Amino acid sequence: MAADRKIVAFCCRECAYAAADASANARTPLPPTVRLVLMPCTGRVSPLHLLSALAGGADGVMVAGCLLGQCHYREGNFNAVDRVAFVQRLLRSVGVEPERCQMFTMSAGEPPKFVAAVREMDRVIGGLPPLPRSEADGSRAAPLAAGAPRAAARGAA
Amino acid sequence: MPLTHRGREILSRVPGGTLQSTVGVGCEIVRHEELCVGCGKCATNCPSGASERGAFFDVNQLLDAPADSRRGALGGALRRLMRHEPDGPVEVPERVTVYRTIIYDDERCLGCGTCVRGCPAEAIEARPPQADAAPEPAPVEVRA
Repeated sequence: MAADRKIVAFCCRECAYAAADASANARTPLPPTVRLVLMPCTGRVSPLHLLSALAGGADGVMVAGCLLGQCHYREGNFNAVDRVAFVQRLLRSVGVEPERCQMFTMSAGEPPKFVAAVREMDRVIGGLPPLPRSEADGSRAAPLAAGAPRAAARGAA
Repeated sequence: MPLTHRGREILSRVPGGTLQSTVGVGCEIVRHEELCVGCGKCATNCPSGASERGAFFDVNQLLDAPADSRRGALGGALRRLMRHEPDGPVEVPERVTVYRTIIYDDERCLGCGTCVRGCPAEAIEARPPQADAAPEPAPVEVRA
């Protein structure tokens, strides 16, 4: 039952992934629901990563990066914070719980903080109703029809 | 969208009164928001400040975007998840630059077409103004 849900954790190589590594070396058990994805920096995470993970089967996505102000690339995690906030607003506007996408920060020397973040995320997602993951519905214009104005514009020129 | 008053005024100074089949001052600017990629080039290039990057983003732009585009991929993912139609425009955090709806003010627009030439997504169209120039009264046909 617990293994039913999936959480994708996008981890910064410089801190969160190192913290995950250290927690694994210390044999601290992580919830079996989490899947780690190594990122060079959380600044690489785009809204497309987060939303396609959710649409593709994840019940929650988390972004784990460095402490604010301690990004290896200076301000990558500030970008990530804003993108996560943007995705949360997108989700809220279409009626999906914004808690499904969250950002956590920690340093490489804080494996317990990483484990706590993952457990917290697992607990929050476990309390939410399942996502209504539908096949793309036909309520919107078909892809070709949506591209039609471009073709029309070319034809007119 | 009618020709703006400034467009009309500029057009009145052009010899002949019309600009045919070229992009020039006084054109009617038509924006296809679903094709917009939010790069903001129109806002950077606009000489009159008629286009600018707003602080909000209309979620329907994602849902209506062509499926083979980046925004379309995002919209497709969102469409699979959504429980209802979007509530309305969302406020965009400061560091998110691409997902913003361009505010276009046709009162300030000169109709010069600079935004059309700069648009990488071909999302803006300039229509020659002659079709919309002040309509002349139709000649009355007098029958003998």
